[in-house]
Amino acid sequence: MTGKKLMMRALKEKGVKYIFGYTGGAIMPIFDEMDKVGDFHFVMSRHEQGAAFMAQGISRASLSTDNPQIGVCLSTSGPGAMNLATGIADAHMDSVPIVAITGQVTTGVIATDAFQESDVIGVMMPICKQTYMLLAAEEVEVTVHEAFYVATTGRGGPIVIDIPKDVQNQAVNPKYSFDAASYKPFLPGYFYNPTPERKAVDKAVKLINKSERPLIFCGHGVISSNAGELLREFAEKINVPITFTLHGLSALPTDHPLSLGMMGMHGTVEANKAIMEADLLISFGMRFDDRVTGKLEEYAANADVIHVEIDHSEIDKNVKATVPILGDVYRTLHVLLGNPMLIKKPRKKWFEKIIKFRKKMENDLKNEIKKGVGDDGKLLMKSIISKLSKLTKGKDLIVPDVGLHQMMAARFYNFQTMNSWFASGGAGTMGASLPMSVGVKLARPAERVWSICGDGGFQMNIQELGTIMEQQVDIKILLFNNGYLGMVRQWQTLFFDGRYAGTPMQSPDFGQISQAYGIPYRKIEKLEEVTPALQQAIDHQGAIILEFICDPSEVILPMIPAEGGFGDMIVKRPVKKKTTIKDSKGEQ
Amino acid sequence: MKRRAILAFMLDRPGVLNKVSMLIRKKMYNVDTLTVCSSRVEGISRMTITLQEDDERKVDQVIRQLERFTEVISVKELDTDHSYWREVAIVKLEVDAAHLETFHGRYNFEILDQKSEDLHILQVAGSTRQIDTFLDEVGREFIIEIARTGVTALEK
Repeated sequence: MTGKKLMMRALKEKGVKYIFGYTGGAIMPIFDEMDKVGDFHFVMSRHEQGAAFMAQGISRASLSTDNPQIGVCLSTSGPGAMNLATGIADAHMDSVPIVAITGQVTTGVIATDAFQESDVIGVMMPICKQTYMLLAAEEVEVTVHEAFYVATTGRGGPIVIDIPKDVQNQAVNPKYSFDAASYKPFLPGYFYNPTPERKAVDKAVKLINKSERPLIFCGHGVISSNAGELLREFAEKINVPITFTLHGLSALPTDHPLSLGMMGMHGTVEANKAIMEADLLISFGMRFDDRVTGKLEEYAANADVIHVEIDHSEIDKNVKATVPILGDVYRTLHVLLGNPMLIKKPRKKWFEKIIKFRKKMENDLKNEIKKGVGDDGKLLMKSIISKLSKLTKGKDLIVPDVGLHQMMAARFYNFQTMNSWFASGGAGTMGASLPMSVGVKLARPAERVWSICGDGGFQMNIQELGTIMEQQVDIKILLFNNGYLGMVRQWQTLFFDGRYAGTPMQSPDFGQISQAYGIPYRKIEKLEEVTPALQQAIDHQGAIILEFICDPSEVILPMIPAEGGFGDMIVKRPVKKKTTIKDSKGEQ
Repeated sequence: MKRRAILAFMLDRPGVLNKVSMLIRKKMYNVDTLTVCSSRVEGISRMTITLQEDDERKVDQVIRQLERFTEVISVKELDTDHSYWREVAIVKLEVDAAHLETFHGRYNFEILDQKSEDLHILQVAGSTRQIDTFLDEVGREFIIEIARTGVTALEK
């Protein structure tokens, strides 16, 4: 047995079906072995970053299915591994379990600046959950098993395994044995207890019963622990409105009567106003990041905080918890629901207030969506998303890229399917969508997948159209082309006196690009064409690109300026170009 | 700024020291001292880190983020009331024996070598402050070279 054979055996043992990657000198033995054993479906990305996002797609989309899988990506040493880095850092920020295996130069020349050598462990250590460097074939299986254990236990995260070429080819000691069935990792300090402490839960129940203006926060942890249904039950049982973080979206239907939609920088007015007025935040599986809280000193000043979180280091990091509950969201909700003390209150005044908040922007938005075009007659992204939502009844899988269109999709798609929203959130990596949607589609082939991109992000990983072509992955690509980097443009409009530095962009003829990849294409410029075009995409079997010519001046509102507080929320589009917002430094 | 000592036990694996120091850098601290040694259990190392921070919550954050590392077994902060913080210094000094004699009894030091009549190498152990005052009293201008271990600490 050799290192490469053991690698294949371990991956098979862990239930890996797909391997994404790109070959090269230092990983050739493993690729060769993968080809020989034929146990895996290999998907060649056109850039290693693509492979990392495809692996993320598999992990993110399958975690709510009966057959959760961990995405695996393979690359060679040096530039190959470095190209993975962005996708790995992105997975780390969003707690997505993936395993990246990188070839390394042979042990004899490590640290001599050999051809295509880079210090992979040194680079990856701060941007992933765990790194391993394999120095003997005997370490391969035990490490892969530990890697999968660490990736998926507690808060998920990416793992990097760096394996020198000679170790791939090395034969193991004849006495070597490894029993996968009885394997238990030796990590005495690495444990997590998914079950919350009873005392903490009792305290939380008291606070909930006492509260007049409570609010439930639904974070990524609700999706990761597959607890959407339980959260709905819990919210209904205590009659408390729910608001979502970007990653909490799709945990339960957006149009649920208790739902206030997304919170934070581009969240709904009702969600953000409710946070300002709440006396209790009951937060599940979230980390109160700066896009959620704005200025911390002003954040939810009158509220107690119940913080349910699996990662101890997130508790009290940004927002001080009145009652911290360390545990898995699913298990905690289960315990909470079983608590006989929990009472339901009518909270009539609270709901009346929220309805009032909602009315603040409701009509403006409705009118804008109905109008469907901007002042210059070009399409509005929010209208396209609304039409898509209607046409698909909110049931499809949405993979946005990063930017203005992402916020539009987050706000105006009416999610009905649990775990149907896959976004690069923490890292905000442009170019994530196209490759991630490949992984999502492979993980859930029976469902329809929409990759929604701007003209900027689409071109960041445009090469993955090659993978889509080769693998014949059925992805509906919606390209929102407004000729600008839209989100940055919005900031420039609001905070930089309308100077558009580095945001206007000339794009190629996307029709010709689509043709070159053999993918059907349609350009949509008129409002009345939007629905028929979307219907065409639905009816078409296979990948298709719809390019929408969008209004560059469209903005997403409301907006809480970076480093601003909820009181600084902008709800109206500025009339003049020049607008100054107090205290805003305009830094993204 | 308040000086803090953080004691951590961790698996003796390559890269762990790197991880710990990277986290401290990420949190924007400059480490005062960092000592690593083996613990009484084979395969488990013991690390004492000292750094300057007034804010209790920030120290808690460092501790919790250290605990997050898979190799780290336990982390806690040690305060001076409930633990001993000690270090050792080896000092090459240009002073005569009679001058050194005056410090006997008050400081815990041992002469390791006498190169010439007024050139001594000595070892002094104690708290950081004790060593500092010893050096002040002996006269820092007489120091030719000094090596200090950094703080190691143990709970009472």
